[in-house]
Amino acid sequence: MTTLLAPPIGQRAPLDWPAMSEQRADQSELKRQFEEQALPFMDQLYAAAMRMTRNPADAADLVQETFVKAFQAFKSFEQGTNLKAWLYRIQTNTYINQYRKRQRDPYQASIDELEEWQLGDATSATATTSRSAEAEAIDHLPDSDVKDALAAMPEDFRMAVYLADVEGFAYQEIADIMKTPVGTVMSRLHRGRKLLREKLRDYAAERGIGVSPAEGVTR
Amino acid sequence: MTDCGCEKAKAELEEYLHRELSDADFEAVTEHLANCADCSQEHLVAVTLTEKVRKACQEQAPAELKLAIQLKIDALRA
Repeated sequence: MTTLLAPPIGQRAPLDWPAMSEQRADQSELKRQFEEQALPFMDQLYAAAMRMTRNPADAADLVQETFVKAFQAFKSFEQGTNLKAWLYRIQTNTYINQYRKRQRDPYQASIDELEEWQLGDATSATATTSRSAEAEAIDHLPDSDVKDALAAMPEDFRMAVYLADVEGFAYQEIADIMKTPVGTVMSRLHRGRKLLREKLRDYAAERGIGVSPAEGVTR
Repeated sequence: MTDCGCEKAKAELEEYLHRELSDADFEAVTEHLANCADCSQEHLVAVTLTEKVRKACQEQAPAELKLAIQLKIDALRA
């Protein structure tokens, strides 16, 4: 009997309606998750962007671009893995691809070739008795000196120090973010911290805090 | 005594500070630091440096940026 036949296709309830509203629900859920999980990292990413670009306008552009890219890729983010590291990877890639090109400092091309002797040896430079004075001097320096010292450092050293000491990333995470082997991370971090320590010792001497310049310069 | 001595401690202070040593090595360096004024002073400088950098680098994203990003996300589909 004809009444038992299925209705022609055109008369069926449109199948794509439920699918579409489901998609919309997914969209708003994704947006909600992104706002809840990713946006709170904005201050941290901005601080990192300030260290990367060294100026507020580029830092703001970089962070904005990072969040747009992150949102567009958020579907592929695996919940339960480290979101902060994921965001840092996006920001670092974006920076390298777009900002570093126009800011490139010729000095930075060869940083991995710097030899140990060029970097000095902060460890042996200070006598035991003056190390507590050095620690105190570091502690008393204004924050702006630390930022200036970081800004003056080769970029790869600066970022290794930043990611390890400010963000507390593990070496392996830094290696993933900077796309280099863990051994390179260690070497950049050690050299970076050594440079930073020397720089801060110079600043402290200039300001007449703690360590005397003679001690600081001795190699 | 698991004290590792100055040479090993000095070589591993950075990894000690960044919590990248195995438990056994971590313990050995900890023990050495407790017994050696020279190395523990060195460690103090390193810890102070880390703390200083961490504090100095705290920043807040400007309010305009937060708003701009929020608006941008609102206008996008994932």
